[in-house]
Formats: sequence, C-alpha cells, structure tokens
Amino acid sequence: MATHIPTEAAGFIEDASGLRSEEMILNMGPQHPSTSGVLRLVLTLDGETVINCTPVIGYLHRGMEKIFENRPYIHGARYIDNADYLNPMINETAYVGAIEAIMGIEAPRRAQYIRLLVSELARIASHLVAIGTYGLDLGAFTPILWCFRDREGIMDMFESLSGHRFTHNYMRPGGVVHDFPRGWIQQCEAWLNNFEKVSIPELDELLTGNEIFDARTQGVGYIDPQQAVAYGLTGPNLRASGVNFDLRVARPYGAYREVAVRPQVRQEGDCFARYQVRLQEMSESVRLCRVALDKMPGGSISQRVPVALRPPRGEAYYAVETGRGELGIYMISDGSEYPWRAKYRSASFLNLQILPELMRGHKIGDVIAILGSIDIDLGDVDR
Amino acid sequence: MDIAPRSGGAVEAPSLLAYDRDHINELLTALARLDQQMGQPVPKRHLNAGIVGIEIAPEMVVEAGRALRDSLGFEMLTCISGVDMIEQLEAVYHFRSISHFWLLQMRVKTPTSDARIPSLVGVYSSANWLERETYDLYGIQFIGHPDLRRMLLDDEFEGHPLLKSFRTTPSVVHDRATTQVDPIRAISGEQQRKQERTVLKRLGQGQQERIHPGMTTFGSEAVFLETGQGVGTDANAMHGYTIDEQYLDPASKPQEE
Repeated sequence: MATHIPTEAAGFIEDASGLRSEEMILNMGPQHPSTSGVLRLVLTLDGETVINCTPVIGYLHRGMEKIFENRPYIHGARYIDNADYLNPMINETAYVGAIEAIMGIEAPRRAQYIRLLVSELARIASHLVAIGTYGLDLGAFTPILWCFRDREGIMDMFESLSGHRFTHNYMRPGGVVHDFPRGWIQQCEAWLNNFEKVSIPELDELLTGNEIFDARTQGVGYIDPQQAVAYGLTGPNLRASGVNFDLRVARPYGAYREVAVRPQVRQEGDCFARYQVRLQEMSESVRLCRVALDKMPGGSISQRVPVALRPPRGEAYYAVETGRGELGIYMISDGSEYPWRAKYRSASFLNLQILPELMRGHKIGDVIAILGSIDIDLGDVDR
Repeated sequence: MDIAPRSGGAVEAPSLLAYDRDHINELLTALARLDQQMGQPVPKRHLNAGIVGIEIAPEMVVEAGRALRDSLGFEMLTCISGVDMIEQLEAVYHFRSISHFWLLQMRVKTPTSDARIPSLVGVYSSANWLERETYDLYGIQFIGHPDLRRMLLDDEFEGHPLLKSFRTTPSVVHDRATTQVDPIRAISGEQQRKQERTVLKRLGQGQQERIHPGMTTFGSEAVFLETGQGVGTDANAMHGYTIDEQYLDPASKPQEE
C-alpha cells in the first residue's frame, strides 16, 4: 500500500475555444460499495473523462506468505482459504497439489474426481458472485439476490461435505478428508438440474438482453489480446479477449487429464464479453460436474501421508485455474516441517494491473462497469 | 459411502510424468536456441512436476527475457517470487507460453547485501507490479523500474518482512494492557466515566482519533505517550504500573468529581 501517490500538479487543459479547465483528483475508496472490498482508486479527471487511474492496494494484506512459512504444511491448507475467499476449494487444491508435487505422490483417482467436482462447484459459486455483484454495480438489484440464492445451495453442499460453509479445510496432501455423506450425490444432482434448467436461463434473461446492461457493457473496457497476454491476465478476462488459454486444458492437473474441458472464448474483449464468458463457464462447469459424478471411481479417498509432514528438499510450481485465472503456488521445501517459501501467485493481483490502461479515456460512469467486469477479489489481491 | 462406481476403470490415474515427457522434450529442444542467443550454455534443470528451470546471471536478465519472448514464444511473465536463501536472495521468474503451453522457471541469484536485478518492465508489462511486490517484501532493487515503491505495505513500514532475518515478534515487548476494566469498578461505572473524560480532554471532540470510551486500549508507557490514550494514573497504579509524572500533561489529569 503506497499511501504516497506521486501525481503531477493539477495541470490546466485548454481546448480549441480557449476555455481552460483544471484536472481534478478524485479518491474512490477504500470504503466504496462498488470496489468489492477495500480498494482505493486515485482517479485523475478532466471533467468527466478519466485521464489516469492509480490503484492503491494492500488494505487487506495479512502477510499470508510469512504465515505459511511459520506454520506446519498442513496449517497452510486451511489458511489459504482466506486468500481468495470466493473459491476456497480451488485454493486448497493448489496448495496441497504443490506439496504433492514436491513429495512426488498423487492423490487416488477417486480423490482427484472429488477435487474436480468441488472445484467446478466452487467455480460456479465464484461466477455467481461475480455476475450478481456486477449486476448490482450497474444498478440491477435482482440478480444478486437470485445468484446468492443459488450459491446458497453450493454452500450447503460444501457444509455437509466438509463441515464448514466458507473456509472448508477439505483437502489434504494425498487426498481429501471426507467421502460424500449419505444423500449428497442426490442433493448435488438435484441442484445441478435446477440450476441448469431454471437459474441459468433466468439469469441470462435478466441481464443479457437488458437494454441498460447492454448499453453500459458493450464496447466498454476493451482489452487487446496482445495487451492482455503482456499484462499477465488469465482466466475469463483473457478468454474474453479471444485468447484460448485455460490451464485445465493447457496443463491439465488431477482429473482434468481425463475429463476434457471446452474453454469458453469470446472475441469481443469488452465488459460484455467477460460477463458472457462467465455465464458460459457456469454451463460448462455444470457439464463437468455431471461428467465427474458419472465417472466417479471407487476406491480410497486418500493416500497414507504422515501427519507430521516433512516433504523432501525440493521445489514445485503448481498452478490451477480458479474462477479468476491462474492460481500458482511456488513452494520450496528444505526438508523440515515448515515450508521454506510458499509464494501465492494470485490471479486478481495481475488482473488488476491492467486497470489504468482500461480506464484511460472513459467517462467516470464507466469506471465501475470496468472494475466490476474484471472481477477482482481483494483477499486475492492483497493476500 | 453413498455412491457405487458407475463406470469401472483403473483406480490409478495416468502418471503425470508420462504426460509431461513430450512437453519437456520439446521445451528442451527449444531452449537450445536460447544458448545460441545468449552466446553461452545456460544451466538447465528438470524440476518436480514437469518444470524446466534455467539459471541466469543478474546482468543477463533483460537479454534473456527478450530472447524468451521474441524467439522462444514465452509471451507471458506469470510470476516473480523472491526467495531468501540466507547466503543470497533469489528472484524466481515463471514464464508461460500461450501457444505452446510451456512453463519455464528462471532463477536469478543476487547477494543479500547488495540485491540488485535489472528490471524486466521494458519487456513484459506484467513485471511492473510483480517487481514492486518483490521489492516490497524482499528489498531487491530492480534497476530501471519506472516506479519502484512499496506495493502491499505502507510507505512508512520499516524492513522487508519476508526476509528470514525479519522478526515476526516485536523486539520491544509491551506491558500487558492496563485499561482492562476491573470488574468491581466496571459495575459502578467509575472507570468508564473517568476514562471518557480523560479521552475527551486529551483528544478533543473528534479532533484526532476518537477513542470510544470504555474501549479496551493498550496503555503501556510507550503507547500511552504516542497515542495519548489517557488513562487515569490511579487506574495504572491499581494494576501495578507506574507512569512517570513528568510525561503527563497536568491539564489533562483526571480531576476528582
């Protein structure tokens, strides 16, 4: 968090008719309902046009990487839930995946399918929040209620599976903790059916054809594919710019080696495309959940791994695709019970970096539309 | 267990190593071109989980980054991790190739006492914030970075917290909180009244930070002086702490009712 923002002295801008106007600096946040967390944007304005934008982050910095270094390995799997708190299941998959990569072990096949299933459910939950809050940012109040209603079903399923609604603590190096409780599969199938038949068409109808929503998102916040790649964008933001890159396809991990994913790509690169990619990915995730349920193998859910975990000396970079993009864990083990280094490569941090490029030249009313469309999570940005 | 396996099949998943082998062979072939561009063989290592790692001297970073981007097709710099290895600091770069689905790890070592690495901002735009973050947490100076300020921490923060030499516990151990209200006095409300008056007197109405009366504050001597969270002297004396009278502004002393 750099509190000192070097801004040039507000200059005078003279237009053709000789009228002079003055640049204005506007602080947006850190307490602002539309920044989805504690994010501060320092906007330099000329009238209503944004000339420059400086994001100031770090208000939610918890020193997560230092905490990982000072706790046994297994504690980090719980604490990483708090990093990107909208899809904690996928975070845990990445963390334990890095440990498994160092140890050179693999989870049993059933555990890998369970991981795939809960990851896709978590992705749906994450996209539901993204779309719901995006609608709210643009003045539509109904979507968030409907999205959170549907997300509640996923939270209930996760609660009965892991014991916790939000910070699940479900993955372990070598597998998962619990098998499905009685009736869970039926609950999940019923939810998937309802979600696919009722909720996605409802949501689609509510937002996609909406005149106000279209007007505020189409052609706003265009990201060039080359620019997106250079800025390290991943996830739906990258795929909405026409770059076909999905880690589940590019470098499949776990059960994704057997379950083929169809990456959702749009060519437009604007806010509307990013919203549409998320909507399509939810349908795709429903399909993947069905495949996982259908192919769910039998057998054990976990390998025997010592409780006092001491991975051998070594390093690994393990990347998974979350709802926001690439989440990578770069872990170094020195052979002790504590990780020597556990770097958390967050997707939102790099997705946010392109924001000044997107804002320049847009009107101040589009600021919220653009910020909401890149779907950051401040817990993920600040760690 | 609720579900019987619906389709049979192997319990073992196909090995990761088999999947990675082709990718790694391709990548190693491509990396031979990097040797030519750099004019010297670059040390390569095959790491866990199918990653190839190379090591580059600090002064060659920009050249290597440009070669990786332009002739090998690593379009994306996805991650920079600082590592404190006590003898030296390291910056570990991860490059990704969108077209070939490759991942490459590049390690740059720099001495702890004078940690300097040329900046890659001119080659990869994503390096900007990544390098700022590494500077913030490790103190590595990225030469040529356009705006090398702290990223996550406050500007006034001292030290670089992810260094192994950074103390996670404060070196000055403060006394235990002194304004925890004594139960007997809390019932009578005496402490709260006294505290409220003192706080208002010291800070004024909303002039500086407004402390809610009755809020638990930390009133050891050092904190007391810095933040001015006024607590009556007798309250401290009750808990066995003494505060030097000279530090107290006589005007702000709580007066007896």
